[in-house]
Amino acid sequence: MTKQHANWSPYDNNGGSVVAIAGADYCVVAADTRMSTGYSILTRGYSKICKLADKSFMASSGFQADVKALQKHLSAKHLIYQHQHNKQMSCPAMAQLLSNTLYYKRFFPYYAFNVLGGLDNEGKGCVFTYDAVGSYERVGYSAQGSGSTLIMPFLDNQLKSPSPLLLPAVDAVTPLSEGEAIDLVKTVFASATERDIYTGDRLEIVVLNADGTRYEYMELRKD
Amino acid sequence: MGDSQYSFSLTTFSPSGKLVQIEHALTAVGSGQTSLGIKAANGVVIATEKKLPSILVDEASVQKIQCLTPNIGVVYSGMGPDFRVLVRKSRKQAVQYHQLYKEAIPVTQLVRETAAVMQEFTQSGGVRPFGVSLLVAGFDDSGPQLFQVDPSGSYFSWKASAMGKNVSNAKTFLEKRYTDEIELEDAVHTAILTLKEGFEGQISGKNIEIGIIGEDKIFRVLTPAEIEDYLAEVE
Repeated sequence: MTKQHANWSPYDNNGGSVVAIAGADYCVVAADTRMSTGYSILTRGYSKICKLADKSFMASSGFQADVKALQKHLSAKHLIYQHQHNKQMSCPAMAQLLSNTLYYKRFFPYYAFNVLGGLDNEGKGCVFTYDAVGSYERVGYSAQGSGSTLIMPFLDNQLKSPSPLLLPAVDAVTPLSEGEAIDLVKTVFASATERDIYTGDRLEIVVLNADGTRYEYMELRKD
Repeated sequence: MGDSQYSFSLTTFSPSGKLVQIEHALTAVGSGQTSLGIKAANGVVIATEKKLPSILVDEASVQKIQCLTPNIGVVYSGMGPDFRVLVRKSRKQAVQYHQLYKEAIPVTQLVRETAAVMQEFTQSGGVRPFGVSLLVAGFDDSGPQLFQVDPSGSYFSWKASAMGKNVSNAKTFLEKRYTDEIELEDAVHTAILTLKEGFEGQISGKNIEIGIIGEDKIFRVLTPAEIEDYLAEVE
């Protein structure tokens, strides 16, 4: 008697890739805008990037319904924080909150693969990368989603991250300028679009620095 | 607690609009040993009498001033056992905050949550209000802060305050000697002099307790030897 398996899954994967790169005084968060299911495209213009706080942007690939719920949850928590503290949450604080929120659903996870990017309390760029259940680490750059296996090795090659096992801890923020980092992001997505069927259509880039926040867009291949 | 015979609130309004239990709690505080706090320009000092019921009591085992976090300390007037319960709860709240945000809890947030606990006990079934008033001293990104929390759950920020037996004399004394530019060292001397005003018997490093927090943002309780040094300077 073989075990009966569910013929319905609560999850779906809507595909897409997300990337974030931290600089000395800026942070770049980027994601493609294609939303898929199976081999079909649901829409070519869906934003995977969410502003959680003035200096915290989250980009998430995976199951967008769970992503939307996660974004709403964190935004609500941030609003309460603002009411109680009379100020915005710092990016490292948001990073810990996101980790706790994900682990809270350890046994029915948010199917979301997140990168959190922003500026820390000193104005330096920070990027936090997560798995679906909240394990996280502060890094200099990261990629998640369907194209991450294509993107990450290239970022490793270009940005030469020091080992997280080194003591004393070595700062991983890239010495690249803001413009160079944005060009790198555009290159990386153009390449990923070539070989990953779930990545493409348009690239949305969010750039955070001391002057504020800027949005940039670039067309990607639509096939 | 729901099924208990005492699932109604014991703290109820009197016709005059007062919560008599809270008034009585404040009386318990008012007959407790004097404690005080002074906020300086570069830190905060809190102090209290430590009168023990007998010379046989090991005074080193009695700690009336406690730290809630590395940068927040607290002293009380009133019932010691009630104080210990609040210290436990506050410490847990501070740790939970850190687990959520990986940041040290701001003084205002911890005071708010502690006050909320004290208020709960004025509106819950089968419990009585806490018989303590707290003076919370802390140093965070907003600078040095001093808060008083009452059994009702109301809290106030003070530049300098006193509680307990000698409160009116102590406050008058503090009003005269306080300046906005007072430095921590001066504040410690002023705290000792204020305690001395209402002190019965010979003041020494063993029958008062002093806690300070400076710009290093580390709260610590002074040793009896350090207190003796300050007392010598004050003489």
